[in-house]
Amino acid sequence: MNNKRLVNILFLFPTVFAFLMIIVVPFFFGLYYSMTDWNGVSPNINFVGFQHYAKLFSMPDFVHSFVITIGFTAINVVLVNIVSFALSLIVTSNLKLRNFYRAGFFVPYLIGGIVLGYIWQFLFNNIFVSMGKSMSITILEASFLSRPESVIWAMSVVNTWQYSGYLMLIYVASIQSIPASLMEAAQVDGARYVTRVFHILIPMMANAFTISLFLTLTTSFKQFDMNFTLTNGGPATRFMGSPVKASQLLAMNIFDTATANKMAEAQAKAVILFVALVVVALIQVAVNKRKEVEM
Amino acid sequence: MKKVLSLLLMVMLVTAVFAGGQQGDKGAAEGGDVTVTMFQLKVEIKDALDAYAAKYSEMTPGVTVEVETLGGGADFGGAMKAKAQAGDMPDIFVIEGMGGYNVWKDYIANLDDQPWLKDTDLAFMVDGQAFGFPVAIEGYGLAYNADILKKAGIDPASLTTRSAYEKAFQTLEAKKAELGIDAPVAMAASVAGGMWWVAGQHNLAAYWGGGLGFNDTSVIEAALQGKMDEPRFREYAKYVQLLFKYADQNILLNGSYDDQVGSFAQGKTAFLHQGNWVDPNMKQLGVTFKMGYAPHAFTEKPQTGLYLFAPSWYCVNSQSPRAEQAKAFLNAMATTADGQAYIVNEAGMIPAFKSVELKPTGQLSQALMAANAKGGNYGVFFGMLPDGAGQNVFGPIYDLFAQNQDDLEQFIADMKAAIAGLPNM
Repeated sequence: MNNKRLVNILFLFPTVFAFLMIIVVPFFFGLYYSMTDWNGVSPNINFVGFQHYAKLFSMPDFVHSFVITIGFTAINVVLVNIVSFALSLIVTSNLKLRNFYRAGFFVPYLIGGIVLGYIWQFLFNNIFVSMGKSMSITILEASFLSRPESVIWAMSVVNTWQYSGYLMLIYVASIQSIPASLMEAAQVDGARYVTRVFHILIPMMANAFTISLFLTLTTSFKQFDMNFTLTNGGPATRFMGSPVKASQLLAMNIFDTATANKMAEAQAKAVILFVALVVVALIQVAVNKRKEVEM
Repeated sequence: MKKVLSLLLMVMLVTAVFAGGQQGDKGAAEGGDVTVTMFQLKVEIKDALDAYAAKYSEMTPGVTVEVETLGGGADFGGAMKAKAQAGDMPDIFVIEGMGGYNVWKDYIANLDDQPWLKDTDLAFMVDGQAFGFPVAIEGYGLAYNADILKKAGIDPASLTTRSAYEKAFQTLEAKKAELGIDAPVAMAASVAGGMWWVAGQHNLAAYWGGGLGFNDTSVIEAALQGKMDEPRFREYAKYVQLLFKYADQNILLNGSYDDQVGSFAQGKTAFLHQGNWVDPNMKQLGVTFKMGYAPHAFTEKPQTGLYLFAPSWYCVNSQSPRAEQAKAFLNAMATTADGQAYIVNEAGMIPAFKSVELKPTGQLSQALMAANAKGGNYGVFFGMLPDGAGQNVFGPIYDLFAQNQDDLEQFIADMKAAIAGLPNM
């Protein structure tokens, strides 16, 4: 018994140690620094309490980032899941070459967000624009990335392209775990395909939806790399009377604050992001869990 | 449980031995050869600087200089902070202005007694004391393609007022097809293209310092108190509007540095709003036409000066035991023939030291050097602004003005509000 415990502890030690040192300890340090005026270097650290938090919600750029991050997340949760669920239905049907399609849809996920941002930036700024010019399609003549009202949608398209292949795999696995007999029985009873999908498939794979919604929610909320390379926060727009960056999501707002040597303020923003993320994710999981069916 | 404890203790002991061992090594090194570490951010001079550091190490017994370069848009400040936290602070590092000075002032050594100081106007000074070694002179005006202007019948020497520019731009616009250009000006102002610094830093510098004495900081001092000189700013804003109106709109609203410089290099635009750092790009792109600099003349009162500044400074780590060796290295760079040859010939920079007689090869750098010799230039003071002012505050304002170019009043109002907010940044 004692021996077994020792083995357990030994095996757990590396991960627990890493988790403590890389996640838990810095988290509490971060909480502390968010209540100071530290600039990242100076040895003089003064405690200022909740001063940073108090002014955050009167700063137009931060409020704007918060709002568009919620918008971006909402768009993505819908778009990514619809697309990936549709893809999973396609690649589990009796399609020729379906393994090829599975691999193909998954490939974008393997490209890193940085590279992918640059690729799509080139597509949006050069390819689409010159296509629009040569074919006189007015809507394409100015880049989608240079229009404040369309830039979030352009980012969502890229995000969908990147993540739907990954979520497709989760859905495929879930579809395959449903006993074929259920679908066959329904078919024999005369249920049409759409009916079978909505009344058997979707309720049976509710746990896959829980995971997928959670993943899209958190990844969109924390989106940084693609945001950084695709739009760099641009173009500018007006919000609460001040010029702000139209596509600067929360994570990038934090980054820009930190690179301006306002470490403590950036840390306070990061804490807000953390709290918002936890609240939203908990609500989502709680709601989804209620819909799950036990086999 | 005892076993676990003893095991943990063992792990800790082993770690301590390793850590101790490392420190021991360092101490030993200090006894014999001294290694001066330098951390800098100019990627374009990396090879030249590495070679010079190697040469210096060879010629100076007992001292080895090691250069580490991080740049190309990487987060230099962040990397420095990581180094400082790790107790691995370099002996020589770079600051880019007052913002950097305020962050690092506990580490920055006073350089008042250095021999090179009296040979330069561009040392980093705070309250009359020197703290930074100027890396080079950089500068800008509005670069022009002399061949295109000649064909259009425009004399670049006449471009000294805003209305002269307006006339020239109109001529170019009318002869676009004939000259084979897309637009008169290659200007970039987009947040998306990462070009906020062209507009919100370099162009805005005309408002801070244009037409004033080289060390006259009165306009920016007032701005740091939250006050804007509205008549002066209005003149300047009209000049910005002019540049935006006659700029290639795609580059202006969305272009990157490469788009902007490339368009000028290919002769698709007649003017380029960039500094002499584009010389290597011009060489790379095989540019053969003649170039020069016209002033950013934003008033009706003629302005003829260019904007000259030191983009960054080397600072010596005052807490390092190797500070003296680090100072000696910088001094050699400024005062020895080898050091000067490195600055001018190898790194292709304009030296900030008056006694240097070598000349850089780039056309724009030569134009700047000529302007520097002639005098009557303007200082560049955006380094005095709080960190993030250009990128996070002014950048979006210029981007928005580029999108709505007719709304001059809104631009002025936005900038007024932004300047009023500067004291609280």
